[in-house]
Amino acid sequence: MATVGLKAFELFASRLSCRPPRLHVLALRSLTTTAATTPPPPNSRFVPPASLETMDEAQLEGDGFDVDRRSRRPRPESRRPVPPSPAFYTARSLYYDTLVQLQSALSLSRRALRAQHLLPLPPFALRALPPAQPAWANKAEMSLILQAPLTARMYKRVVMLLRELDQYERIARVADATELEDAITDITKGFESKKGIQARDTRIRAREVKERGPLDRYGRSYTVGRRKTSAARVWMIEVQKPKDSTSEPVANTTSILSSSNATTPPPPTSTVLINSVPISNYFPLPADREGVLRPLKLAGLLGAFNVFALVRGGGTSGQSGAIALAVAKGCVAHVPEVEPILKKAKLLRRDPRMVERKKTGLAKARKRYTWVKR
Amino acid sequence: MSLRSGLTATKCLQRQRVFPRNAFRTTYTAPNSNLESTIESPDDWHLMQENRARFKLLFDLFNQHGSTQTRKNTFQPHHTLSCPLAPSQTTLSALVAAGAHFGHTTSLMNSNFLPYAYGSRAGLTIIDLEQTLPLLRRAANLVRAVAQRNGTIIFVGTRPDLQNTIQRASERLGAQGYHIGERWLPGTLTNRNQLFQEKSQEYRLTPDLVVFLNPLANMNAIRECAIQHVPTVGIIDSNADPRIVMYPIPANDDSPRTAQIIAGVLSVAGKEGVKAREEGQKTQQNHAQRILIKQVLNGEGNV
Repeated sequence: MATVGLKAFELFASRLSCRPPRLHVLALRSLTTTAATTPPPPNSRFVPPASLETMDEAQLEGDGFDVDRRSRRPRPESRRPVPPSPAFYTARSLYYDTLVQLQSALSLSRRALRAQHLLPLPPFALRALPPAQPAWANKAEMSLILQAPLTARMYKRVVMLLRELDQYERIARVADATELEDAITDITKGFESKKGIQARDTRIRAREVKERGPLDRYGRSYTVGRRKTSAARVWMIEVQKPKDSTSEPVANTTSILSSSNATTPPPPTSTVLINSVPISNYFPLPADREGVLRPLKLAGLLGAFNVFALVRGGGTSGQSGAIALAVAKGCVAHVPEVEPILKKAKLLRRDPRMVERKKTGLAKARKRYTWVKR
Repeated sequence: MSLRSGLTATKCLQRQRVFPRNAFRTTYTAPNSNLESTIESPDDWHLMQENRARFKLLFDLFNQHGSTQTRKNTFQPHHTLSCPLAPSQTTLSALVAAGAHFGHTTSLMNSNFLPYAYGSRAGLTIIDLEQTLPLLRRAANLVRAVAQRNGTIIFVGTRPDLQNTIQRASERLGAQGYHIGERWLPGTLTNRNQLFQEKSQEYRLTPDLVVFLNPLANMNAIRECAIQHVPTVGIIDSNADPRIVMYPIPANDDSPRTAQIIAGVLSVAGKEGVKAREEGQKTQQNHAQRILIKQVLNGEGNV
């Protein structure tokens, strides 16, 4: 504050040298705060302060005001221009001007859409509009764009107007009203930011991944399971059924000698590889093998999928639990209908139990040292 | 006595004809159908537009017959905002219709407001609009005179329902009109160096007139204007002291319609002042040009 006041004083001081002392006081008055001025002489005419700076020295010199001369001469224009923006006195002129302009853009585009019978839009047409994918700048960036510190309420006001404009732009786009669409885009693109565009692209990609589904283009599911400190990555793919006609039973022979096995197809077999090793070699204990295959058993998908797992970390039972969780998730990815079955069997829950840390003053996590009486 | 021939038992007991299943509305039939219609391609959008345009043609055709009252020649509530009254056109009935005569409860009446009070009814102070109207016209004359002399006018209305009003009012005054809609920053006039920094030296900051649509909420601003000797106009309600502003307009400050009328009247007067100034400048220019031409002609004639 002091530096600004000094700077202003210096500016005026440079101009003061050629001015009469009377103007010196009056000019400084506009800079200072609450200056108590002396009362004007009784016969002088009141001149509003705003026009004092505009008056020439000739008008202020002399004993009194020359009424005739003043009325004959037209009042001169102010040497300084008026503030440019109508919202100047709010000290956030760009923000309020932007609000006014956005509102007028909204009303104009509304009128244009109405003229083309695109507004008011019936509900079925509203449903058919493409979804909004905004890339607006966040609050900090918008504060830079609008050159004013924005509160949450001020930011929301701008974003609401931009959203409505964006909706009109989408309507114009689907209905092939290109001029209106381009006009609105010209306005709204000034409020988008690089960060906003990046965020929007991330959202679109995430939505695409969700819509695409859990299987990749080869029909494989990729799931992750964790237990204790083990992490397993599991790929599951459907077992291809052979399409030969020779496997089908040709004719029902009534001979007792023919065994029933010849007519029925062989049961489906699938491979389960863990770290490129068959399951029977990797997990010697039957309990671990059972744990890995339990989700498939409960879902009735025992021979339906080939499983390839990569697991590391932890010990045998931890790895077995991790693979079991990943296999359960993979079953749900392939056959969503089994989800309630596996959920009820608690096979879709990542076991949160981890090794508890040792604490000071205790021998282990919970084990206390022997209590001594003395 | 016999039944009428048409009213046989079989006819009366006949079931009502059920609407056929396929008689539902689509985009091809009625414009306001919203049930079974779907939009898939741009052609569907064009079809919808065409259908609505067709309906509108029919509507316009029949609109020529019937009532002569249209949206344009009847009063619409937004007219006080978009096409306000001129000072000479303002009537008592317009003010009464806007509810300008409703003051606050009699127990809250400011004792200095008594000269402007007509009486009380239903516990409310009723404002004397026969005094309001000449005071409004006086304020309008003031605004016109200030605008004609290239003065700047600020419209202050710090309630959400006053935003549109002050924006339109300041627009009408062109470069000489300003508005403050959210909050009068303390120190706008008295601490301008800190608030506006280098712009305080660049522009002419002291306004020539400030119009308050809700003065009681902006006492800081009124005080600053008094310190800086800026004339003020304000809508004074019955709980306010009329002496706080230089040109009080006693009326209901809580009614947005009243504020629209008053701000509209003042801004229209300001617009007249701006126009008068421009015309004065034009006549001056023409005058100067004529003198120049005469000089040139005389000079040539002499030579």
